Amino acid sequence: MNVFRFFRLHANSWSIMSIIFMLLILSPTLSIFVQIFEKPNENWTHIQEFLLKNYIQNTITIVFFTGLFSILVGVSLAWFVTAYTFPLRRFFKWGLILPLAIPPYIGAYTYHGIVNYTGVLQSTLRNEFNITANPAYFDIMNIPGAIFIFTIFLYPYVYIITRAYLEQQSASLIENARLLGSGPLELFFHVIMPISRTAIIGGASLVILEVLNDYGVVSYFGIQVFTTAIFQAWFGMSDVASAIKLAGMLMAIVFLILFLEKVLRGRKQYSYSNAKVRPLEPISLSREKTILLFVYVLFIFTIGFLIPFVQLFQWMMLTYEKVISPDFLQLIFNSVYVSLISSFLIMIIALVIGNFTRLADSPWSKAVSRITVLGYSIPGAVIAIGVLTFFLWLDRHLNMVYTALGIDAPIILSLSLVMLIFAYVSRFLAIGFNPVDAGFDKIGRSFTEASRLLGTSLMRTFFKVDLPMIRGAVFGGFTLVFIEVMKELPLTLLLQPFNFYTLSTKAFQYANDEAVHEAALASMLIILISGLSIFVFHAVLEKEKK
Amino acid sequence: MVMQLQNVTFSYRNAKEKTIQHMSMEMEKGEILTILGQSGSGKSTVLRLIAGLEVPEEGMMTINGSTMFDQETFVQPEKRGVGMVFQDYALFPHMTVAGNIKFGLKKMKRTERNDRLASVIELVGLKGFEKRYPHELSGGQQQRVALARAMAPNPSIILFDEPFSNLDADLQIKIRDELRTILKKAGITAIFVTHDQADARAIADRVILMEKGHIVKIGTPDLILC
Ligand SMILES: Nc1ncnc2c1ncn2[C@@H]1O[C@H](COP(=O)(O)OP(=O)(O)OP(=O)(O)O)[C@@H](O)[C@H]1O
Ligand SMILES: [Mg+2]
Repeated sequence: MNVFRFFRLHANSWSIMSIIFMLLILSPTLSIFVQIFEKPNENWTHIQEFLLKNYIQNTITIVFFTGLFSILVGVSLAWFVTAYTFPLRRFFKWGLILPLAIPPYIGAYTYHGIVNYTGVLQSTLRNEFNITANPAYFDIMNIPGAIFIFTIFLYPYVYIITRAYLEQQSASLIENARLLGSGPLELFFHVIMPISRTAIIGGASLVILEVLNDYGVVSYFGIQVFTTAIFQAWFGMSDVASAIKLAGMLMAIVFLILFLEKVLRGRKQYSYSNAKVRPLEPISLSREKTILLFVYVLFIFTIGFLIPFVQLFQWMMLTYEKVISPDFLQLIFNSVYVSLISSFLIMIIALVIGNFTRLADSPWSKAVSRITVLGYSIPGAVIAIGVLTFFLWLDRHLNMVYTALGIDAPIILSLSLVMLIFAYVSRFLAIGFNPVDAGFDKIGRSFTEASRLLGTSLMRTFFKVDLPMIRGAVFGGFTLVFIEVMKELPLTLLLQPFNFYTLSTKAFQYANDEAVHEAALASMLIILISGLSIFVFHAVLEKEKK
Repeated sequence: MVMQLQNVTFSYRNAKEKTIQHMSMEMEKGEILTILGQSGSGKSTVLRLIAGLEVPEEGMMTINGSTMFDQETFVQPEKRGVGMVFQDYALFPHMTVAGNIKFGLKKMKRTERNDRLASVIELVGLKGFEKRYPHELSGGQQQRVALARAMAPNPSIILFDEPFSNLDADLQIKIRDELRTILKKAGITAIFVTHDQADARAIADRVILMEKGHIVKIGTPDLILC
């Protein structure tokens, strides 16, 4: 086929726009890659010599133990909920997901507020029981504390995926094992864990990526890891070069994790298979065992959701009159504003790229959709650094344009909301893209083909046929992105314009300024909105299953 | 001659062998042609090539004398004037029967469009069903809507990909005969794909027998099907 005809066939507005979007989205990551090998400066030599080992050690320790504990908690809960009957089982089935609504950074300062010297725990001990315990016992601002926080607020990733898997795939296997006389422990370690391997690894890698993305918890607890180091290099020393190198290394770790996930998972993808599999019938245990099980489930729910929620609620009641002010309303406005714009842009880009990859259906269009979803694995701080250097570069090159327009400022884009929103789009595109992609997948191509054979152009077909048919998925994606942007912390902290705060950055700032109580209202709002996200996600998922 | 294919060759991207090899054929106006062949012989692919849904590697095709594809040109499906009735009908679920049928008529004036709607509805015998949604119709009714929708813009050819496979046996025979009557009455040129000999015999003026991407026989049903 000659080249000329190839271009005429494939160069439609969808492919061109997709390529442009892709290049834009890739540019921050690329700009890190380009600069990562630049000659190191003195500062970097210092970091490398004295600090890097510490960053790596801390990161590995936290990632390893959080991964391990999340798996233990998540898989055991998934197993108990599917296999055994106990009181309130139906409630816990989704209630155990709720800790996910509390972003770990909010969990971190809430728990610190509970256990510190003036917190409810120590003061109760002092005042009611006259016990003055060694404050060191209550110090959670350390690595074990961070692991605790990450585990209790992130284990739901493992729980959700494993539970879905166990519910759908395992009835006959488990019943067979039971008939062969396996005891519960044996069943758990020799049957449940191995057969749900792919699901567990999928969930655990989500947990780990969240941990690597985190800045709020580690910085609040004063733990040195890559994200905190990036912030220090950037804000503390204005050392862009070192920040880039650190971001590059963090990205390398992320790729390593993604690679390991692929290898460990093997060739099997865990899938929500559509086949109607017979669900596993839960059985009842002896009275003592049931009580034990109930206590365990209740305990996790209590520390993962109930305690922080109630505590925040109480603080909120203490402070809301003081906190609510025009400034606070401005915060809400800011959050909603950036979230709305980002969600809109993301859904538009997701639709363009989704439609393009579906129609082109070739290896390179598949590559485009892979790259599209990669952004979500890359930590916010890394994306922020990439976007920042990319925009500084843009500003340098647009300088002439600014001068020509009579604007007397060296940098414009790098100080504006454009940059923040650009970064949100590259990080969260996957969240909007996945439902769109699934929606297109579900409707297939025959409606589009039918429309074109009725004389309708690709563009018109998109608006008249494709879009109306996947609007549920588009709405779901929009909501999820909106909430994700509302909660975002590290990227926003790095890129928010001067004097521009969102609910999450303000809450974090309050907490850092020892004003944990004042942070409660903003935190509560974020939690409520995240709770909504969980609800929407499941509503969409349930609908997709039908 | 309404349509002519010459020496068309095509393979799917990840296929080892050519799906369609050096295929040539012609059709006269008002003719009903049936492509018969085993599963995987490439029948659907031929229709997709004629419709413009796949891009051939070699060969050329004309419709009413103008080139649809050759080494230089490729006319997009929406510009070909080819109608198609899909195996699963692909009726737009978010539009009514009338909406579906009028979908291909946007170039017409309003009154003209409504007249055309009325006449094709009449032709397929679905009067009174205009306001229904596809999921509120039976399989046979859906099939007739799909036919009406494909006929409405007056295409040069209508392609049918196993149009009866979703219907039960009794209905299949009834609709098959009905369909031939409708097509002949309207003077429509049509290609049917099927792997059922009885279908081919009942409906076709001419039959093409395909095997592994080749045409092995062309002729009247009596000649081919014995
Ligand atoms: N999208 C595709 N990608 C790759 N190969 C395909 C694709 N569609 C069809 N094929 C292959 O091309 C060959 C011809 O397929 P085609 O659908 O034209 O057969 P058919 O004669 O219509 O069969 P059936 O009677 O089962 O519908 C088959 O070997 C099939 O596996
Ligand atoms: Mg076929």
